[in-house]
Amino acid sequence: MSNAIELTNVGWKAGKAFELRDVTIRVPNGSIYGFLGPNGSGKTTTIRMFMGMLEPDHGEVRVLGRRVPQEMPRIMAQVGFVPERPHLYPALTVGETIRYHSSFYDRWDQTWAEELTARLRLDSERRVSRMSKGETGKLLLLLALSQRPSLLVLDEPTDGLDPVVRRDVLTAVLDYVAESSATVFISSHLVHELERICDWVGVLDDGQVVAELPMQSFKNGIKRIHVSGAPDAPGDTPFVILNRSEGDAFSAVETWVVRGWQDPMRQYFEGIGATVRGVVDLDLEEGFVELLRSSRPNNHHRG
Amino acid sequence: MFSGIDPRSPTPLYEQIAARIRLAVASGDLRPADALPSVRVLARELRVNPATVVQAYRDLAVDGFVEMRHGQGTFVQEVPTFRRAEERAAQAQKLVQKLIEDGARIGLVADELARAFHTEVGVEISE
Repeated sequence: MSNAIELTNVGWKAGKAFELRDVTIRVPNGSIYGFLGPNGSGKTTTIRMFMGMLEPDHGEVRVLGRRVPQEMPRIMAQVGFVPERPHLYPALTVGETIRYHSSFYDRWDQTWAEELTARLRLDSERRVSRMSKGETGKLLLLLALSQRPSLLVLDEPTDGLDPVVRRDVLTAVLDYVAESSATVFISSHLVHELERICDWVGVLDDGQVVAELPMQSFKNGIKRIHVSGAPDAPGDTPFVILNRSEGDAFSAVETWVVRGWQDPMRQYFEGIGATVRGVVDLDLEEGFVELLRSSRPNNHHRG
Repeated sequence: MFSGIDPRSPTPLYEQIAARIRLAVASGDLRPADALPSVRVLARELRVNPATVVQAYRDLAVDGFVEMRHGQGTFVQEVPTFRRAEERAAQAQKLVQKLIEDGARIGLVADELARAFHTEVGVEISE
């Protein structure tokens, strides 16, 4: 089993408003996989597919090598899940919530649950109904980690949390990964947060996967290139042009955003009589924005 | 040692981490037999993927800068003086390359940068 999560051509339709279209995802074992996409792109729906909470219209889903939803109980014993919306009993205290959850999991580590309570500065006497958003987020993570999962699924785990709590949450996740080599699937629209920790990136837009690749290839492959003297119809290019915009009133230098760039491709520009004025690296956020812009039908891309 | 590690940089994080350690060894801030922080501690401190730290340590081991002893940790190796000098020169070269690239982006040519450099360090440029 080399992938912790596998979705193969998964389709699902909810009325006319939204559908997942042939979603194929491979989350390698031991990776920290960042699942990016704008709000409403279908990230949470995709997660529900492999958490067995929704059944696809077609396609195949496997988690930890087992079929979803047929083998869901055995899968759940090894998966820690932090959902987008909390599912806690408001009348229980933090301590009671921890004890309640512990009863469902064979691999529950109570010592670690207590250590995390202290480290995340949670008060075990506090009632869930009186907790802040940040405290709720930390408690959900504590519950997911204390079951010592082989796979940790985090749906927007830091959305709406303040920077201090965000840091606590991510540090706890990284600590766990360092000692357990668990796989982490983390969905977020906060791109810069993932840039630091993820080694794989999947990008979802409008119910479709628009990219899935190692973080380093994602970052290295998308470049902004300043070009002068390029013809309007550049013919076959060795890379994919995501976007091409003309120079402004001050300069005739065009900006191309390309995918799959490698340095020897500079020769291509010589071949079409153009000059490369500069090749600029994009960070994850810029690459993400360009990728989405090009995947949408109404883009202004001419290439 | 690791301030300014930049996840947004096109240079992979593991390369940035390895470069810092190489430089620390080259400049004597890290001495032979010194222990590097454990993967877990460093990943935590830098808030990066532990696999990133492992990759950095592995690259350093391949270069002979550190030795990874199973179950014990990662330790700085004796690095010959010429190799340390090379490393310092290589890092300086990289900084200058970046300076030239940044300069080109805002339209400065190498000559102007060289003048500025000499003004800054107080050395007369010979012509």
